[in-house]
Amino acid sequence: MIKESLIGEFEKIVGKENVLTSKESLKAYSYDGTSSWIHEPDVVLFPTSTAEIAAIMKIANAEKVPVTPRGGGTNVSGGSVPIQGGIVLALAKFNKIIRIDKENMTATVEPGVVLMDLNMALAREGLFFPPDPQSFLGATLGGIIAENAGGPACVKYGVTKQYILGLEVVLPTGDVINVGGRTLKNVVGYDLTMLFVSSEGTLGVVTKAELKLNPMPPARKTIMAVYDDVAKAGENVFRVLENGVIPNKIELLDNWVINRIEEMMPMGLPKDADAVLLFETDGIPEAVEKETEKIVEIAKKYGATDVRVAKDQAEADKYWLARRAGFAAVFGKAPTVFAEDVTVPRGRIPDLIRKCKELAKKYAVEIVVLGHAGDGNLHPSILTDIKNKDHYDRAVKAMDEIIEGAVELGGVISGEHGIGLEKQKFFRKIENPKVIDIMKGIKALVDPNNIMNPGKIW
Amino acid sequence: MSSDLKELKKIEKDADQCMKCGFCSFFCPVYQEEHTETSVARGKNFLVKEILKGNQEFTPEMGEIIGKCLLCKRCVANCPSKTQIDRVVVGARAQMVKDKGLGFIKDFAFRKVMSNRKAFGRYVKLASKFQWIFPKGEGNIRHLPDFLKALGQGRHIPAIAKTFLRDQVEEVNKPQDGKEPKMRVGYFMGCATDFIYPELGKKIIDFLTKRGIEVVVPKEQNCCGAAIYFSGDFETGRKLAKDNIDAFKDVDYIVTACGTCSSTLKDYKVYLPDNEDQQKAYEEFGKKIKDATEFVVDVMKVNLDELKLKKEFEGKTATWHDPCHLIRYQNIKEQPRAILRALKGLKFAEMPNADLCCGMGGSFSVYHYDLTKKIADKKMAGIKATNADIVVTACPGCMINLIDNVARSKMPQKVHHLLELVE
Ligand SMILES: Cc1cc2nc3c(=O)[nH]c(=O)nc-3n(C[C@H](O)[C@H](O)[C@H](O)COP(=O)(O)OP(=O)(O)OC[C@H]3O[C@@H](n4cnc5c(N)ncnc54)[C@H](O)[C@@H]3O)c2cc1C
Ligand code: SF4
Ligand code: SF4
Repeated sequence: MIKESLIGEFEKIVGKENVLTSKESLKAYSYDGTSSWIHEPDVVLFPTSTAEIAAIMKIANAEKVPVTPRGGGTNVSGGSVPIQGGIVLALAKFNKIIRIDKENMTATVEPGVVLMDLNMALAREGLFFPPDPQSFLGATLGGIIAENAGGPACVKYGVTKQYILGLEVVLPTGDVINVGGRTLKNVVGYDLTMLFVSSEGTLGVVTKAELKLNPMPPARKTIMAVYDDVAKAGENVFRVLENGVIPNKIELLDNWVINRIEEMMPMGLPKDADAVLLFETDGIPEAVEKETEKIVEIAKKYGATDVRVAKDQAEADKYWLARRAGFAAVFGKAPTVFAEDVTVPRGRIPDLIRKCKELAKKYAVEIVVLGHAGDGNLHPSILTDIKNKDHYDRAVKAMDEIIEGAVELGGVISGEHGIGLEKQKFFRKIENPKVIDIMKGIKALVDPNNIMNPGKIW
Repeated sequence: MSSDLKELKKIEKDADQCMKCGFCSFFCPVYQEEHTETSVARGKNFLVKEILKGNQEFTPEMGEIIGKCLLCKRCVANCPSKTQIDRVVVGARAQMVKDKGLGFIKDFAFRKVMSNRKAFGRYVKLASKFQWIFPKGEGNIRHLPDFLKALGQGRHIPAIAKTFLRDQVEEVNKPQDGKEPKMRVGYFMGCATDFIYPELGKKIIDFLTKRGIEVVVPKEQNCCGAAIYFSGDFETGRKLAKDNIDAFKDVDYIVTACGTCSSTLKDYKVYLPDNEDQQKAYEEFGKKIKDATEFVVDVMKVNLDELKLKKEFEGKTATWHDPCHLIRYQNIKEQPRAILRALKGLKFAEMPNADLCCGMGGSFSVYHYDLTKKIADKKMAGIKATNADIVVTACPGCMINLIDNVARSKMPQKVHHLLELVE
């Protein structure tokens, strides 16, 4: 429990209205997007400046109070759950877009800016920030940086780390540092910017970010390809790429997901298909036309039973809405869902899918597959019920084997959701102990009192 | 806790739908001002589930939290899991009223309003006119429809009519051409039209009788109950539902020009039923309810090109505000726009964020007027961007709030009900 006197100190820093201590408020900051992790903080603070955060960190460090940064609370690895209590540093009010620089194609933002708000502001300037976690309606730039988030568009554009030029960070000690800069090229010692990207709030609080932007592509097209075998869909992903086309998105829905989406919002997806791939191409109109033709040709050649090109944006929007509804479809159908985040090299996608199918049979559990096929990040999800012990135990075993299988295929245990609390046991098992030691050494150097989001990652 | 949690158990399934993705925060007008979890569907839902699990009680703060919701359903419309937070919030309010009494939720904020002597005087006067709904006493003041309670607080609000609509119209109004009626329609006035906009009521009766429809206006009709059952007083809500069901027998349809009323009457079945008989009766009743906008376009199938614009609106530019109770509760979006576009001599300009709640939210605006003003500011920005001369809508509740905020923002626009534009 936090010392009563500290509350008064915090009120002096951020103002009374920005300090929450009621039982109800603390409960409302005990969770994030996961279902299995809940822990209440002792206090929730809403700072709105770097100076306020520095002042808070100085006190927390002196008093050894845990601090858990929180953006939109949409992560799905337990990252913003204050698992050891202490302070939740809620950054939702620290949310200004400080500058959009059209000439240099950069933007400077505070950490609480929600991605969709940034996108809307950038669109008005003919610009865009390519990383597109599908939680863009709730996720903040701070959380996106801390999780190195990426969405469907990473096939062509990559993930968050490729778009961060520089950061301002408040360290656990309360010191403020700037890493990186505003230039595209920057080789000045170790690349500390990357250290903070994907640090899951364990090394410091990101208080300002310099983002690299792209010009908004003037045209885009959506293609839906239908397959009678999900493994064939998996193969199609790298066939398209090896034939010289890099779509900006390639997403996969399996038969189960297609049918749940059709139940939720009938939109004419082929219910008997074993899988569907959604492609999107973007760029200048002529290139988009050519790429679309090429995708249709290759998909047909490698076993798609039907290929449809969305005739207008409305039809395209419908398909992408279906894709976004995929997660809800999965979560709405079982009391407990393990949404895995394994990622394999693209060429191994068919193997991973086959593996999932085998395991589903072996353990008699439902395993559904939907995800960012374009980058090998598949989100196999196991439907179970924590209250049904026998079923749950089988689901856990299946999950363990999926993860082992993915690693054997040369993959990783998390593509985009991070380790947090959810993936700790696999992290320990799979990561080289020497690597973990280096990470722990860095953590001890930056955060000697272990107050920044303690209990996460290892 | 001694509570049976009966009302909460009815909505347990709705609460379980939420997967905590946080997408609602983007759409919630309250969250967008406050940026706190307890403002938005995800947080409210989580806390209601905590009550169901026995981990949380109906504390005064819990009352604040479930009270601070506009019931605008923007979160519902955009929720990937289709979580019906309106049901969760209303169910929680009902449980709270059941366990703790109505005063518990409202007392604190109500006292703030009451301390204004002048405003209080007006409530008492109004309350005296409400005797036909409620027994005498201070309790009926609490039950005044929210938009009437919103009087005072320094608002620019239209005056109460000298003669209420109910005292100005006949019970049976035959088609004006003297022919056999094509249809027999019950007209539901709604409190705002009855007490503040009686002219609007006369207008709609005229509009319908001109087109061969017989309009009955049963005197026994009561308040729709929105202000009452959305606050959680289901007992009174069911009484009003019964009054209204009994008042409207032998009609083909029941039409109202108040978007909140039409949705409230349709939705007795969603919130109020306590047994199967009620469920059935509410469902049957709901089927007959039509909002005036959908009645004109979908049922009467009026040839819109023949509608005549009133002279005073000639050459004006109009913009449309979607009442939450039309667009999200009833999925009525195109009908009013079709009418506006068809009116020759009128220019129609779509405003950005047309579907954004105006900030009224029934009792919300009484207890959280500061938030109402901030939310309305965003609406005002949308209106300004259109350069429209008039703001058109189809809910007297919204009209009251829009008039207040247009005046407060010193904007030139006039606010009208859609039917006021038509000859
Ligand atoms: C339906 C759904 C779909 C999703 N889709 C995707 C997807 O396609 N791709 C993807 O990558 N992710 C996805 N996610 C996961 C999640 O949205 C991302 O991890 C996102 O980046 C989290 O952002 P946030 O603002 O919500 O952060 P939070 O959840 O609040 O926090 C995440 C982590 O970042 C830390 N943190 C937050 N702000 C700061 C800061 N300013 N400084 C330091 N640390 C900070 C927290 O301590 C925590 O460890 C999805 C989630 C959901 C619910
Ligand atoms: S959008 Fe729906 S599912 Fe997501 S947090 Fe809000 S209510 Fe829950
Ligand atoms: S109904 Fe409106 S005010 Fe209430 S939680 Fe949903 S979006 Fe927010």
